[in-house]
Order: sequence, then structure tokens, then C-alpha cells
Amino acid sequence: MIQFLAKRFLQIFPAFIGITLLTFSLVHLIPGDPVELLAGERGIDPARHEQMKKAMGLDKPLAVQYLQYITNVFKGDLGKSFVTKKPVLKEFMTLFPATLELSFCAMIFAVLFGLPAGVIAGVKRGTVFDHSVMTVSLTGYSMPIFWWGLLLILFFSVNLGWTPVSGRLSALYWIDADTGFMLIDAFRSDEQGAFKSALSHLILPSIVLGTIPLAVIARMTRSSMLEVLQEDYVRTARAKGLSPARVIMIHALRNALIPVITVIGLQVGVLLAGAILTETIFAWPGVGKWIVESINRRDYPVVQGGILIISSLIIFVNLLVDILYGIVNPRISRA
Amino acid sequence: MTKLVEIKKLSVDFDGFKAVDDVDLTVDAGKVVGIVGESGSGKSVTQLALMGLIPYPGIIEAERLMFNGNDLLKMQDKRRRQITGKDVSMIFQEPMTSLNPCFTVEYQISEALKIHEGGTRQQRRDRVIELLSQVGIPVPEDRLKSFPHQLSGGMCQRVMIAMAIACNPSLLVADEPTTALDVTIQAQILELLVDLQKKNNMALILITHDMAVIAETVEDVVVMYAGQVVEKNSAQNIFTSPSHPYTHALLNALPERNVQARRLPTIPGIVPGKYNRPKGCLFHPRCSFVQEICKKEIPAYTRKDKMAVRCHFPLVNYPS
Repeated sequence: MIQFLAKRFLQIFPAFIGITLLTFSLVHLIPGDPVELLAGERGIDPARHEQMKKAMGLDKPLAVQYLQYITNVFKGDLGKSFVTKKPVLKEFMTLFPATLELSFCAMIFAVLFGLPAGVIAGVKRGTVFDHSVMTVSLTGYSMPIFWWGLLLILFFSVNLGWTPVSGRLSALYWIDADTGFMLIDAFRSDEQGAFKSALSHLILPSIVLGTIPLAVIARMTRSSMLEVLQEDYVRTARAKGLSPARVIMIHALRNALIPVITVIGLQVGVLLAGAILTETIFAWPGVGKWIVESINRRDYPVVQGGILIISSLIIFVNLLVDILYGIVNPRISRA
Repeated sequence: MTKLVEIKKLSVDFDGFKAVDDVDLTVDAGKVVGIVGESGSGKSVTQLALMGLIPYPGIIEAERLMFNGNDLLKMQDKRRRQITGKDVSMIFQEPMTSLNPCFTVEYQISEALKIHEGGTRQQRRDRVIELLSQVGIPVPEDRLKSFPHQLSGGMCQRVMIAMAIACNPSLLVADEPTTALDVTIQAQILELLVDLQKKNNMALILITHDMAVIAETVEDVVVMYAGQVVEKNSAQNIFTSPSHPYTHALLNALPERNVQARRLPTIPGIVPGKYNRPKGCLFHPRCSFVQEICKKEIPAYTRKDKMAVRCHFPLVNYPS
């Protein structure tokens, strides 16, 4: 197991270097000049332009810039935003809890509904339940996120008035951001009803963001379950006289989960990508919205740094998935 | 002698295809019965029906399906599961895939104990170690935490056997237990099964298509063809004077009986499937003794003394 982990950790470095190289070159490929965008419509004196470029370190050749950047990254310095002049990492840390909170709730929603739906659909294949789960999940998967979000807002927020339209918290409350997670902060604060407000702000975005992972998880669980139920060891389990519930929940599900866990890990990437759209629709002050705005401002350090941190997170989650995989499937960690 | 298993007119229907058709089978307590026949002759399905393991969409019909005085047809599922795995258990053809790859050997064996007999964790562990040494696994303490993929095929089958005999069943069904194993291991596993059968005085149903296995281990033989029992006889009589032409043809195809021949005799054709089920006797298209009546009328399953045969013209002392 230790050897397996060590090997897995070593594999991270090439991926990490690849990401920095890719984001760096892609960001610099976007036409446009951060200095001009900063200066605005009035234009800028060429001498001042050169001076500002030099201050930002943009006057050197790209290769030198990259080397400088990567050295700083390994020192833990992701640079400063061109626009706000604040360190990228610091800005990221203030915004990230919002994205994390949203993604986490979306994932809980997806797993909580997707997994049981997939298991039941697989066990009761060919029934009305099976067909409706598959139809609904296909619809959910095909639905564009922004449209689905707007539909839900229109119906639940505008027509029924059940949930707020956007934001993280009602303007009636003021909560100190201790942890950055609104649910936790609101729960710990003295404000009456703040927690309820935070929760109701989370519901719709979580559903919108969790819909695609939910559909993928439900379909994957179903097909994996169907495959596993045909296996000889399921027959053995039944031959032991175990109850159907035990056969399904212990003997079949444990094996069926192996591919599902991989899919859940991969969905984390989808979640963070989807967060960009969801955050924009619901005016959710998270990382996704921040990166989109920074691209428009050609704020190179923010885009590079933001993407680097998010990709590293995805790598990290996939590492966690591999470890979990080894725990669920003994053939991997010990083989 | 008490009848442990009594099956009368059992049929198993898969979407209009009769995998098992009008089968009678009795097994006495402590006896060894062999079931032989080609692939697709309904040997396994008969036993799965007895275990209550017929997969969807199979439909079971029977006049009588008794185990140890209990009517399995009328029994509720929950009550039936208390018998399955405890009083009657089964081992399968593919030991490597029949064990769950996600659980340790100890977990899988002690699960059967836990469900049927309870006891403390330590008692169960002791019993698992005892069982593993009974089935001839060296240093069983070290094997408790092994996963199936760390064991060889023969080892897996031993673990399967340990699991099956965990609750001292009165009947063990072995469905081609040696087919997936190599020859030396085959002999060991068979020896182990017969040994356990004698020691625990349990009945054993041995499904096989290996005639040599039948000759060595079995007291009574049931020959199946296309879902029907075509002959039932003692192991001795089967080899010296088979009554059904199919049994005769099967024996003729044994390599041991054709040492001099340049070509091994075969039975022409294949077992009929769903769409080419013949009228009359199911074996008539492949039978070398076929008469007109065989093509029209289904022969009855007739008993004589201790044997029974389903044929219009059973062979009498025909040299095999």
C-alpha cells in the first residue's frame, strides 16, 4: 500500500508541470494586452506603457517569464493580480470556500439521489421505475446548465417564491466570514434565521450544479449493478441463504461501486467547470466567476494561478479516489 | 432409508424454453448420486431449482419438490433461505469467480455461519480455521485474511467447499466442481468431497460430464438429456449394461473404450435447443436404434426395480 501510494505521488509531478505549461501558454495566446485593458479607453503614453509592462514582468521573452513563474510557484508564490494588486492565493482563499460549499452540496445531492436510484433501477430492471430513472437522468444530462438554472429560478423563486433568486445570504443578515462556509458561519452566528436563509440560497444552485453528476452516477451505478448481479459470486451469496437485501447491499454493491467511485472522482472536474456557469447565473461569489472575470481583464496571474490551484485540486481528488479504490477493491492495492 | 430429496415432475421454463422437463429425482440421506449429460441437458438448472436459485425469468413448476420432509413449493422465501446454505448447500463450476473478490476468505465463510448459527466472533473464527484445515488448506490461520485473487483455483474450490460444509448440511450439491481445475487438482478435490461426504454422512449430488468421475465416486447415476431424465441406474449397471441408447452412446464415446480405434465414436448432432425441439422422443434424431414410434410418441419414464428409463425400446444386456 505504501509503495502504491509513493508511486502514485510521483506521478503527480509530470501532470503538475504539464498544467502550468499549458495554462501559461494558453493565457498568453489570448490576444489583448493587460496594460491597455487597465488603461481603458483613453489610451496610454507608449513610454508609460513600456514602464508598466516592465513592472508586470511582461517585457522579457516568454520562456524566461515561464521559468520565473514556475520558480515562484514552487516557492509558493502565485504572483499578484494585475488589477487588484493583491496576492492571487489570498484572493483565491477568500473566494474558494463559496465554490467548495456549493460543489460539496451539489455532490451530496448527486450521490444521495443518484446512487440509490441507480441501484434500484439496476435491481428492478425493465420496470417502470427503471425506465423513468433512465429517462429523467438522460434529460438532466442533456439539459444546458444555464437554461436549467433559469427554469428553476423562474419556477421556484419567481412563481412560487419558495427560494431566493441569487446570492449566498439574505441582505437582512450580516455574518462574519470565519470559515468562509456560509452554512457553518451562519449556524455559529447569533443571527436568528440566518442558517435557514443560507440553506435556502444553496438549494437551487446545488440542484443545478448536481444534475449532471447525478445523471452520470445513476446511469453508471445501474449498468455496473446489472453487470455485477450476473456474477457467479452473487449466486454464491444467494446460495448461502443470505437475504436479497444483504446480497445486493453488501455483495453486489461493493463490487458495483468500483467504477462508480472513479466516475464520482471525475465528476469533481465537471463540478468545478459547471460552477463557472452556475455561479454566474446565481451571482454566487465563488472562484468560477472570479476566473471568468479575470480572463476578460487579461489578468494573467489570476487566470494561471486559479486554474493551477483548481487543476491541482482535481489531481488531488483523483489521488484520493485511487486510494479509496484500493480500499474498496483489494485486487488493486495488494496485487 | 429416508428420502432427503424428492422431486416429481419438475419443469423449469425460460421464456418458453423448457430447460428442465418433467424431471423425477430422489436422493436418499447419506448417498452419492451422480448426474451426467451433455452441456445444456438441464443438470445444473435442476439443482438450481432445488436451491431456489433459478435466475430471472425462469419459472418453476413441479408436482412435488420436497427436501427433508419440507415442501419447498409452499414454503415462504424467508423460511426457505434458512434451509438454503444450511441444510443444503452448493459449490460451483468456476471457483475463481464464485468467490467475491472484495471480501476475505474468513469473511465469506463466517458469513454463512453468522446467518445460520450465530455465535461470537471468536467462535466463528475458530470454526473457520477448523473448516479450512478440514478441506486441506495448510496453515489456515495465515489464509484467513487472504482475498480470492491471492489463491489458486484449487484453493478457491477448497474455500468454496469449506463455505458449503460450514453448517454441516445434509446435502451438498457439487456442480461440476472440477471442470475448471487441472487434472491433479481434480483428483484431490474429488477425494476431498467423497471424504467429507463419508465423514459427515451427508448426501452428495455430483454433477459432471466426466464418466471416470462417475465410475470412481458415485453410487447411483442419473443420465439427463435435453432437460429430461433418460435413465437412472446404479453406477455398476450403467457401465456394464446401459438401458437407454443415449447412455450407451455416451459410454461408447469414452476414449478409454476406444484405445484401438483410429477415430473416437461420437454422437452425431447436438442437444436440441428452443427452436428445434423434436416431437416424440427427444433423442430420436440422434439415436441409432430409432423406430417409427419414437418420432411420434414421447416415451414414458418407467421404473423397474431400482432402475428407470425413458425409452420405447430399452436395451437389454446390449454389449457396450
